[in-house]
Amino acid sequence: MTVDERPASPEASATDARPPAWRPLEDDPRWYERAVFYELLPRGFYDSNRDGVGDLRGIVEKLDYLAWLGIDCIWLLPFYPSPLRDGGYDVADYWSVAPDCGTVEDAAVLVEQAHRRGIRVIADLVINHTSDQHPWFAESRSSRDNPKADWYVWGDDDQRWSDIRVIFCDAEPSNWTFDPVRQQFYWHRFFHHQPDLNYDNPDVREAILSVVRFWLDLGLDGFRLDAAAYLYQRDGTSGENLPETHDFLRQMRAEIDRDYPNRVLLAEVNQWPADVVDYFGDGDECHMCFHFPLMPRMFMAVRREQRFPITEILAQTPSLPAGCQWGIFLRNHDELTLEMVTDEERDYMYAEYARDPRMRRNLGIRRRLAPLVENDRGVAELLHALLLSLPGSPVLYYGDELLMGDNIYLGDRDGVRTPMQWTPDRNGGFSRADFAQLVLPPLMDPVYGYQAVNVEAGLRDSSSFLHWLQRMLAVRRQHPIFATGGIEVLPADNPSVLAYVRTSSDGDERAVLCVSNLSRFAQAAEISLARWRDTVPVELIGRAQFPRIDEDAYHVTLGPHGFYWLELEVRR
Amino acid sequence: MTVAPELAGIGPLAAAYLERQTWYHAVVGNEGGEDVALLSAEVLRSGSPGLARLVLGRGGSRFQLLVGSRPPAEAAEVLGSREAALLGQLTVAGVTVLAYDALADDELCAELLAHVTGGSQRASMVRRVSTLVSHASLVFDERLFMKCYRVLEPGARPEVEVMLRLDEAGFNAMLAPVAHWREDGYDLALVREFQPSALEGRLLAFTSLRDLLAHACAPDDTQPVERTPSEAAQARADPDAQTAAAGGDLASEMRRLGSTTARLHLALADVFGDVPATRETFAAAIGDESGSVARELAGLRDDAAGRVVRLHGDYHLRRVMRSEPGWLVAGFGDDPLNGTDAVGSSLTGRRGSPLEDIADMCVSLKLVAREALAQRAPEEAETATHLADAWIRRNETAFLDGYVATDGASRLLPDDPTVVGLLLAGFGRERMLRYEATPSEA
Repeated sequence: MTVDERPASPEASATDARPPAWRPLEDDPRWYERAVFYELLPRGFYDSNRDGVGDLRGIVEKLDYLAWLGIDCIWLLPFYPSPLRDGGYDVADYWSVAPDCGTVEDAAVLVEQAHRRGIRVIADLVINHTSDQHPWFAESRSSRDNPKADWYVWGDDDQRWSDIRVIFCDAEPSNWTFDPVRQQFYWHRFFHHQPDLNYDNPDVREAILSVVRFWLDLGLDGFRLDAAAYLYQRDGTSGENLPETHDFLRQMRAEIDRDYPNRVLLAEVNQWPADVVDYFGDGDECHMCFHFPLMPRMFMAVRREQRFPITEILAQTPSLPAGCQWGIFLRNHDELTLEMVTDEERDYMYAEYARDPRMRRNLGIRRRLAPLVENDRGVAELLHALLLSLPGSPVLYYGDELLMGDNIYLGDRDGVRTPMQWTPDRNGGFSRADFAQLVLPPLMDPVYGYQAVNVEAGLRDSSSFLHWLQRMLAVRRQHPIFATGGIEVLPADNPSVLAYVRTSSDGDERAVLCVSNLSRFAQAAEISLARWRDTVPVELIGRAQFPRIDEDAYHVTLGPHGFYWLELEVRR
Repeated sequence: MTVAPELAGIGPLAAAYLERQTWYHAVVGNEGGEDVALLSAEVLRSGSPGLARLVLGRGGSRFQLLVGSRPPAEAAEVLGSREAALLGQLTVAGVTVLAYDALADDELCAELLAHVTGGSQRASMVRRVSTLVSHASLVFDERLFMKCYRVLEPGARPEVEVMLRLDEAGFNAMLAPVAHWREDGYDLALVREFQPSALEGRLLAFTSLRDLLAHACAPDDTQPVERTPSEAAQARADPDAQTAAAGGDLASEMRRLGSTTARLHLALADVFGDVPATRETFAAAIGDESGSVARELAGLRDDAAGRVVRLHGDYHLRRVMRSEPGWLVAGFGDDPLNGTDAVGSSLTGRRGSPLEDIADMCVSLKLVAREALAQRAPEEAETATHLADAWIRRNETAFLDGYVATDGASRLLPDDPTVVGLLLAGFGRERMLRYEATPSEA
């Protein structure tokens, strides 16, 4: 039975009320520069087989919803077999799918069905480390002279590279852990149950490349490379961003370019932009990297009601080689990362956004978007308007399109991984299993619970945030300048107003002016638009014409947390 | 007198042009008297458009005039409505051209930029910011700022000197000089970086307090969700907590500004030298006629009183700008943003304890608070004043914290924090009295 023949579940029919016209998949090697990504947790999205756990077939059933929403690429969080001690980032087998998520065949079906709707699929690939349950590690630790003895990083003491920072400093006292079987220490940059692979061993490099080939052969459109900065260790270094790491990534890219057209490598490198830019190489390394510091700055700018947190980081963001793109996001499956802000700003963010200590974790804050902004729709819209108009491909996090909440009482980072809320029915329409069987409990509180916040309700209510976002994504799609244009921050005489213009990269005079009011009060500003004198701005959403630009200073008034996207139509 | 032969006829036209300029009369007055003399005329670019630099004199005053020339029809097109820039008709090598103030011609402004910077800078767009008595200001491509002097002064101009030397000393919290044009002992033009998005500090401070007051003075039922009743009550009772929790909190910016200020004083000390401060330094600066400051400082040892450095001397929130790289200090006789000629700036070369500049900035916060309070309704006065006081305290503290936390800055100030507090209060009182007496100057 093919997927098309499967009977649609009631939940599916409820949410598939508006079947979209399917878009063909474009043959475009640079599709990712214009794409909107949608990050989802397979175990938390939709349960197709009533076992209480979301699965790949469940995602297939919800593809029409995602096509309606207007996203271009799904990013799947890890679905590989795993002891799940770190949300699946502890992989125990690279070549299969965890039984509760489905099968390799299901993955192939998902890719095929997504492609039919013009949606691509990328998946997390954890290349820095494996689970300590991986057969490679079991073999490696079994003796000091087995064939895989050098597949991990072993040492006789725990003193080497002692200057290298411990990333999960709340949980791990050291980057070394003693293994009683082999009677040696093994190196791990993350949890102690995630031993780092030894990339100095050519067999390891080849094994990881064969994993890459396996999934690309199956049809995946690329990978989000987890923890890509830490592959090698060298004395006297921070163990991050080493030349050897770049060499390996270039090798991986070269193989992909040769054999697999139109694929993408998206690197997770939580570093300052000037360092991250190295991961693009000369356009011969990763196609995309996340822009980590931008995200906390957006929240800080709204909280401080001032543009400088954003404009500062834009000023420090280098330009990229052709064919490269930033991945930008508001929230994701991890905490609100604060590694990239100064201590003072981190204290500020803590004070503002995490009054409850349970909300803090490592150097971040684990909250979903809506609770972070105290469920203020205006702020949520403003933040999305920034996300969709700043340079980079936006990455949405599942459920944020509904303004879903979180559950800070769940352990680890599970608070932001509760099941997707589809309907007001049992288990939020996520699963027909017994409640007690569910992978995580859906939210049931009166504000964010599935009874009130769900896809079905969002679809029925034309003024919902869901509809608003769908419309914004459509507007963004109509204007590729948001994706590939340049950016120029414009002077404005009001610190609460952020104005920038996205300029065409095709050498023509098209431009879109984006003006945002970061304050909760109405604001007026004068913006310097001398270059566009005699232009008539047209608002992108309602196509209303604004007064002609005829002076050096253009007057704009904005409501609380208001924003405008104005096309600068040249009428000389 | 050296006048290029082809410019022989320009003298009377230029003199008549000067007579029509208000900046010229601001220097020489409106009285008749001796004639304007053409002292030199140098061709910077021949052909069309042509560019020449004239120096004219009357009495002891010297004026620089940059003159452009084009065929009449072309000149009319280029000048458009800027007819006032016209000098008149001239015949050069048998060809009739119109001569005009070259700063009205975008192409010639760009040419001038290339000339001043030795060809290292080119620009495609010119914006005229202001025309003041001493100079004309041009912004090129929104990234370079040129001050082109009209009134020439012999020797190095203090503002040019201060900026060049601070720049050499590595002080980067200002719009850095890019090139300067000096000939025959006269400073003719200065080109500096330009930060179009820089905002005056006063605006940031005002926005911060205005929004705090708007939030806190709103009726109770429009308050945002309170976490718990006790927390809400506590917040209302404790204005310090309220200012700290406000959106638009300025404290972190003031902390950064404190650090920038410390780096400025360290650079000034580095460039112009510093000496130990004494009790007398403070007493004299505070205007201690009753001797009360001297009595309070009786126990202050001279080796623990900090240093005397060259001061900025006119240090307040209108003299600092927040831009993307951080705070920038202006007011070295220059201010590209508001285009005013600085009065009483560091160019006076006044020396004193850095606490004087710090006190000036603190007073500036108080003046901003006054301005914001004036916008609230009378019935809110009590609450608003309470909050404004807490806002001032919070930001003064942050400013001082940022200052003393800067490497090497603590040696500039008295060792004892109590003495620092005492002196800041003293300087603050003195400044406020001066402000009350002449608010317009402040």
